[in-house]
Amino acid sequence: MNHEIQDGIRIRARELLSLGEVGCVIGHERGPRGRVRPVFVHDAGDAGRLVWDQTCHHNLVVYLRDRAAPSRRGDAPLRAGIVARPCDVRALNVLIHEGQVARDQVFVIGVACPGMLAEEAEGAGGSLAEHCRRCKERVPLFYDALVGEPPPVDAVVDAWEDLAELEGSTPGERLAFWIREFDRCIRCYACRQACPGCYCFECLAEQVDPQWVSIAHRVPQKAFFHVMRAYHLAGRCAECHACDLACPMHIPLSLLNRKIAKEVKALFGYTAGADPTIPPPLATFRKDEELPL
Amino acid sequence: MPDSFEPKIVGFLCNWCSYAGADMTGTSRIPYPSNIRIVRVPCSGRVDPLYVLKAFQEGADGVLVAGCHPGDCHYGDGNLYARRRYALMRSFLDFVGIDAGRLRVEWVSASEGNRFAQVVAELTEQVRQLGPWAGLREGQQEAA
Repeated sequence: MNHEIQDGIRIRARELLSLGEVGCVIGHERGPRGRVRPVFVHDAGDAGRLVWDQTCHHNLVVYLRDRAAPSRRGDAPLRAGIVARPCDVRALNVLIHEGQVARDQVFVIGVACPGMLAEEAEGAGGSLAEHCRRCKERVPLFYDALVGEPPPVDAVVDAWEDLAELEGSTPGERLAFWIREFDRCIRCYACRQACPGCYCFECLAEQVDPQWVSIAHRVPQKAFFHVMRAYHLAGRCAECHACDLACPMHIPLSLLNRKIAKEVKALFGYTAGADPTIPPPLATFRKDEELPL
Repeated sequence: MPDSFEPKIVGFLCNWCSYAGADMTGTSRIPYPSNIRIVRVPCSGRVDPLYVLKAFQEGADGVLVAGCHPGDCHYGDGNLYARRRYALMRSFLDFVGIDAGRLRVEWVSASEGNRFAQVVAELTEQVRQLGPWAGLREGQQEAA
């Protein structure tokens, strides 16, 4: 199944590049130490470098923003092909909706996604990552070409089970939990760099006038950064879990985003990137809505 | 904690209704707890959640955000955006361990001097019950 996807990606990439439909294809290749890494293929002859398996967990949409800008003034922006899973496509949809990327600048090679393997199970033919077990999306929302056969969807018992334990504890226990987690943060900002939604020209974590959060390596500052980052992604996070996977300290950052996603769904009936005709939840209102305040 | 704990509360009040409402409280000689420190803002829609979090980080035990009643906003719809923003913010802060009782969002009009006093008294009492906030506050981590 993964081979079908990989072959499909290579065939598409070769075709697109040789016809000049796109300037480059963003996909995955195998690095020197055997792990997959993102790659930009500019030449049809290099299409064979592209690989795909269930460890290709990078959300490649994050690289589109730089591609969207022309390299020289007056040039037309480079059209890019991109390998994208269903969650990646929702992240892309958010960017399109926000005017960061134009739909016609992208050729989406959609992957009928069998889910990613859990990090510790990689290579061992092991089990799916927790967030992929909960996921019901097998086919991207939109694509220009689809590779692979959509696998069956397992019944999901409780889509928010990962939040249940924390939600069931007291605020004091939750605080202790987050202090413990944020304490490990080394402020490398890998979560931010891996996130398609984090594209502020000047991040509030680095802003100096006004300085909202100092560069001190202490829990309050680290908490401030993570809480505000999560809140900035309210109604925008596609739950691709790229932040979790990018974090070298294994902080469960996506719990923050998932909590907000859950509330956004409950309060406003909104899922990020699912329907671009609906305005984002915090950029609109209904006059007579009853909200818990 | 000794009985002498006096909560520090930061109030973000909109210029057009709630700040005038607080003025009304004063000119009507209605007593209310002096625990609140008022910051006047143009509109409740101007209160970035960043301000609230920063207040908690810099020493506030509780935060009040108050604006015009929905439908009465001076700018038309600022408070309607704020309503959505803070409905989400409250449950999110609770999730990271800042008890939702420490953040209150209220609509107080310019004529509701009594109500302003009541809101501040209630919030002060609630925060007093919850105790001092030290969780993610600057300077507290090393001491703990």
